[in-house]
Amino acid sequence: MKFKIQDWEIISLGDHAFMFSLEAKVDSKIVQKISALSNFIKSKNINGILDVIPSYHTLTVVYSITNFLHNNKSVNEQINNFCETILDEFKDQYKNVIQVIKEVIKVPVCYDSIFGIDLENLSIAKNISTTDVITIHSASIYEVYSIGFLPGFTYMGIVDEKIQMPRQDKPRMNVLAGSVGIAGLQTGIYPSNSPGGWQIIGRTPWDIFNRDENILSKFKVGDLVQFYPIQKIEFDKMNEHKL
Amino acid sequence: MSIKIIKKGLSDSIQDYGRYGYQHLGIQPSGSMDFFSAWLANKILGNDLNNPVVELHFPSSQILFENNYTICITGANFVPVLNEKSIELNEPIQVHKNDVLSMLQPIKGRTSYVGINAKLNEPHWLGSHSYSKQTILKDQQFNFSDNNSSQAIDISQTTVSKSNKSLIEEVQKLVFDHNSPIRLIPGPSWSLLTDSSLTALLKKSFTITSQANRMGFNLMGTKLNLNVQNNFLSSAVTRGTLQLLPNGEIIVLMADHQTIGGYANLGQIILVDLPRFAQFKNGQSFNFELTSLEKASQLYRNIYEKFQH
Repeated sequence: MKFKIQDWEIISLGDHAFMFSLEAKVDSKIVQKISALSNFIKSKNINGILDVIPSYHTLTVVYSITNFLHNNKSVNEQINNFCETILDEFKDQYKNVIQVIKEVIKVPVCYDSIFGIDLENLSIAKNISTTDVITIHSASIYEVYSIGFLPGFTYMGIVDEKIQMPRQDKPRMNVLAGSVGIAGLQTGIYPSNSPGGWQIIGRTPWDIFNRDENILSKFKVGDLVQFYPIQKIEFDKMNEHKL
Repeated sequence: MSIKIIKKGLSDSIQDYGRYGYQHLGIQPSGSMDFFSAWLANKILGNDLNNPVVELHFPSSQILFENNYTICITGANFVPVLNEKSIELNEPIQVHKNDVLSMLQPIKGRTSYVGINAKLNEPHWLGSHSYSKQTILKDQQFNFSDNNSSQAIDISQTTVSKSNKSLIEEVQKLVFDHNSPIRLIPGPSWSLLTDSSLTALLKKSFTITSQANRMGFNLMGTKLNLNVQNNFLSSAVTRGTLQLLPNGEIIVLMADHQTIGGYANLGQIILVDLPRFAQFKNGQSFNFELTSLEKASQLYRNIYEKFQH
């Protein structure tokens, strides 16, 4: 099943999910529209929808066959009708909310070499001082394009070309929670200790993911994030109090 | 009072239907691999279909019951014994305090289920009892309630009701048929396969490798190629997704799959065939076959409704 509505393409992912898709680009406008559609569908609390998952240029809806669909009606037709109705309503609504300015989440990062274990290599590879790497990394406002790999792991972008660097050839066995890394045009934070191949340039004292049902992930797709440098002594203080 | 794992198996866990509603935060859904057999255990016990069950692989854990329960073992046949006495599959079994359940030998299938006529208290996280790193308990102890909360079962009556008998037969056929093809629906990257790869995917057989676990089953078979580079912006994947790896091999994503993926998404195995696929042992060969969304939805609904009666 594959069809087009407005500038959206809709395709089935098997028999219990379908995906809305825009042009495949890492693009602020696109991810904001995806995030808005995600919020819109969730706000409707539709019976039988199990998950709504935004990521870059796509939004995937996972559903229960028996609760979301009616018996004895064409499934293709039902999904087509559902998408048409949703996208029509969304189009009208999106026009009105597009001007809302989002708050930027300011995340403290200690770029000290004991945390930023790849900072020096990156500075050598890119022929730029470590101070400049820090200045450039913390100057940009990033968007959260996707969350996955681990609970709460964020894919943010777009990293300034001057400090872009591909993943390590061989992933590390254990990257510590809070580590801030770069992988190509993306930057992100490890929410828990995990194997990983990103170039680690610092660490945040924040808990990025907490299993408490009322907290969970610090970020969601579409959020705006900016890093700010802190000294080791501030890191230790914040880490102690988990500010 | 509860049940206790006294000897840990290779990869055993508590499962229910899974933890949905949090995939946008990267939290995987999990859930029983062969959910038909898990439902069947609960059906026979008169439980809610999605009451948590113990999912066992071989070599399996040994389970100590710290209370009297009625249990039911479904799915794979690992030759279950209670205190070294052989017991039946697909039947309610009375267990007493300090009884020990063990599995002797993997005769048929890959995943076995132990249903229990009690509610599970802990572990529980985000609406589900399914195992995840966030639900690990000390001592592998699972706190099932003492008051046997499901009332439907009459323990003195060892025979299974007639309607359940036909359901058992139906589930056996559905889950342990090794000859029928595994049906799939084309996904976003289907049309990017080269013509010869498309033909190979539908005509050649594939084999389950030893790289197979609750996250995914790696397949061995003809290596497939795309007409474009196998590198996409990550998007959500689902249980049953055929991902094409950079080396041309397929991995089928299973219950503990990550929420997003950046490799080609060729298509999805339909829900009704996933339990059967999940029971394939390493080395099992099979063929894929295309089916339609309409047919897949109807097949699932048909079997689901039989469980509701």
